[in-house]
Amino acid sequence: MAPTTVLVTGGTGFLGSEIVQALVEAKNFAVTALDINPPSLGTVSYPSVTYVRCDIMDLERLREVFKETRPTVVTILEGPAFVEPMLIWLAYKLHTVAVNLLGESRYSTQGRDTLFSINVDGTKNVVQVSQECGVKAFVYTSSVTVLLDQLEENFRNADETWSTGRATTLYGQSKTMAEGIVLSSNTPGFRTCALRVAPIFGPRDPVTIPTIYGCIANGETPFILGSGTNLQDYVYVANVADAHVLALHNLLDLGTAAGEAFFITNGEPITVRDLCLAVWKEFGHYPRFQLRIPEELAWWMGWGLEWASWLTNRKGTFSRGVVLDATKTRYVNITKARRVLGYVPRVSLPEALKISCQHLQQQINAQAKA
Amino acid sequence: MPGVKDIAYYAVHPTQLRSIIQWKVWHNPVHERDESKESASLKRCFHFLAQTSRSFVAVILELHPDILVSVAIFYLVLRGLDTIEDDMTIPLAKKEPILRDFHNIIEQDGWTFTENGPNEKDRQLCVEFNVVIEEYKKLKPAHQAIIKDITKRMGNGMADYVKNAEFGINDNGVNTVKDYEKYCHYVAGLVGEGCTRLFVEEGKANPALLKRTELHESMGQFLQQVNIIRDIKEDFDDKRRFWPKEIWSKHVDNFEDLFKPENKAKALACSSEMILTALRRADDCLFYLAGIKEQSVFNFCAIPQSMAIATLDACFQNYDIFKRNVKITKGDACQLMLESTQNLQLVCDVFKRYTRKIHKKNNPHDPNFLQISIACGKTEQFIESIFPSQKPPVDEKKNPVNAEEAARLKKEAEETKWETIYMVSAVIGTILFISGIMLVVAWFAGARFDIALSQAKEQLGQLFGSGGSINASAPLDTKPSTDHSEL
Repeated sequence: MAPTTVLVTGGTGFLGSEIVQALVEAKNFAVTALDINPPSLGTVSYPSVTYVRCDIMDLERLREVFKETRPTVVTILEGPAFVEPMLIWLAYKLHTVAVNLLGESRYSTQGRDTLFSINVDGTKNVVQVSQECGVKAFVYTSSVTVLLDQLEENFRNADETWSTGRATTLYGQSKTMAEGIVLSSNTPGFRTCALRVAPIFGPRDPVTIPTIYGCIANGETPFILGSGTNLQDYVYVANVADAHVLALHNLLDLGTAAGEAFFITNGEPITVRDLCLAVWKEFGHYPRFQLRIPEELAWWMGWGLEWASWLTNRKGTFSRGVVLDATKTRYVNITKARRVLGYVPRVSLPEALKISCQHLQQQINAQAKA
Repeated sequence: MPGVKDIAYYAVHPTQLRSIIQWKVWHNPVHERDESKESASLKRCFHFLAQTSRSFVAVILELHPDILVSVAIFYLVLRGLDTIEDDMTIPLAKKEPILRDFHNIIEQDGWTFTENGPNEKDRQLCVEFNVVIEEYKKLKPAHQAIIKDITKRMGNGMADYVKNAEFGINDNGVNTVKDYEKYCHYVAGLVGEGCTRLFVEEGKANPALLKRTELHESMGQFLQQVNIIRDIKEDFDDKRRFWPKEIWSKHVDNFEDLFKPENKAKALACSSEMILTALRRADDCLFYLAGIKEQSVFNFCAIPQSMAIATLDACFQNYDIFKRNVKITKGDACQLMLESTQNLQLVCDVFKRYTRKIHKKNNPHDPNFLQISIACGKTEQFIESIFPSQKPPVDEKKNPVNAEEAARLKKEAEETKWETIYMVSAVIGTILFISGIMLVVAWFAGARFDIALSQAKEQLGQLFGSGGSINASAPLDTKPSTDHSEL
């Protein structure tokens, strides 16, 4: 049997490279990784994989690449634009008090055009070219934010029957629109599905583990926002890659996933605080005391600081958005992915954290030597 | 009589005292046993039941009459078996055949056993075992078959265990976690199976429970494991070790070291791992309870489970378990019984409450910190899946099903709006009307509005004017006031 040609957009990024690896290991796939950036230093690149540099905003160039590779399957992540907001989101959920300026964009309404053009127009481009070139299956990497980014709400054990469209962040809105485009273009000849992944972490992840680790040096580890009992979901990068391979098999074979969206998480909801404590523990740090800031107080602090930053015309570092992200319950049910795709989170949370933290420790050691 | 200590305790824990009173005063058994129709041997059986089981007797006695006697006899048969297994004064050669043949023994009229050591606390039950056999034979044949089957398997499992202990195969007590769970299966998992079969036989539980064998297995395992965790000190003093070597050897080199004060942190870490093993069964137990159809059977199953999760919380991060027997207070026990004798939702609340308590005490220094946190999260998610505390948001305004629906919603919204307007104007109208009438009445009665008005003006002037006198402010006021009069 001739190998199935798979094209992965965003294929050199954090998640993309993991998906490429999973496809290579699954055998019987000819993989093309398409990205605006070449594979970054220190990541593994495979001789059997074709790496193509291309901007998905450039429709003509995209067409060329597709005509050359003739993929049967496309799996799409919008490159850095996908990974970064997700990670910033995660960073926010974790990061309780001090926050870097970069992240503020998650709650602001600025930068709408860039975000929408990459997330929505980029997706439109790839869908259009895929249809033109007779692609059979299309897996879209969506995000749990399509549902969960209604920041003032709690989501307990939500599943895919919960309707989306109420996200209050730009990122969530743009992902909802893109997901809609992909799922509505599903036909028997062009099968599509969307994987709504939880915040991802793993080795080489540029933000999550480093951010939590950074709290130690900043002395922020004793502070807890809210009750500390609110559960949230995370997912290890290799498990997300597994889910992509499973979705792709399903679309090519049974097709029961066609036109459907699936939540993909580690299936182990825990509190944000415990995730942080577990990471710090890997680095041998234990907070000496704990200070709980009640949710209401934190909300008003955020509100006050938002006004203060408006008056002083300076970008604030703490806002109500941060408080809501840290104090709300947001976890989903992955029964549908288990049932339809046969998804099983292969790497459990404790193991995944260990791997990720060891990787960061090695990086830190290497830097210290240099 | 309560001691001074108890009185002092309940004086500062009034809610617990309230629970005790509530339970004692208000709890009515679902079914009451009718002593007048009982034979002498059955009465004797109930006497033994009360003597041998302190924790189970109350719940057994309230069971539905269809299964009451069967469950009681089942309990006594197993208690007899256990008494023979436990007795270290009986040589193996004597003990093994009895254990392996116990399912036949319970059918031999008049069988008794008098060779137990004098210190065996349930010795008398074996001495008068003929009464149990007499009552066993009066049970429905289907019930007899179930009891016989479980007795056979448990007897053989115990015999294997005793034999291994004798030949030093497990001289450190239980070795692997698998052995530990196997032991719990023989002494408790099988009881879960037997009870479930009795319940299903009498239509008191969903037959699906027999297919999902892991559920009744977890019911037994959870209770037994919690007992083993709680009784660590007592068992150690009796020279018995049920904590598997696979777990304790990760923390200390010798089992005895767990009890040395210098190993406090290690002992706590070891107990946490034991508690984690048990905690992973919690969601199965709740799932099982969802399959029970009859209230008295539900109470029978739910009370021990609630007590177990509370005991688990009492033992978690509590070094006292290595020094003495840790118990939940009587007040808490009554509160748990109140909550476990109504419906599954309340039992789920109990589990959620104690899971959160355990989670709160979870300590990052513990090697199993993250696993415990995940197990707590899993239990909470499971409870949420059977009793969702939140409905998926319904957005009528956003996605009306069709155009008619949309039109109807719009019309409704319009009507509500006008209703509000009418309501507000009616209220304002009434107020104006009544004040008007009052003013007219006052005028007829000779009220001097001109004086009232000028006084009001004066006071206002004093309030805002810098000079304070009406004369000073008058010239300034003249002009605007003329404007007003022209209007």
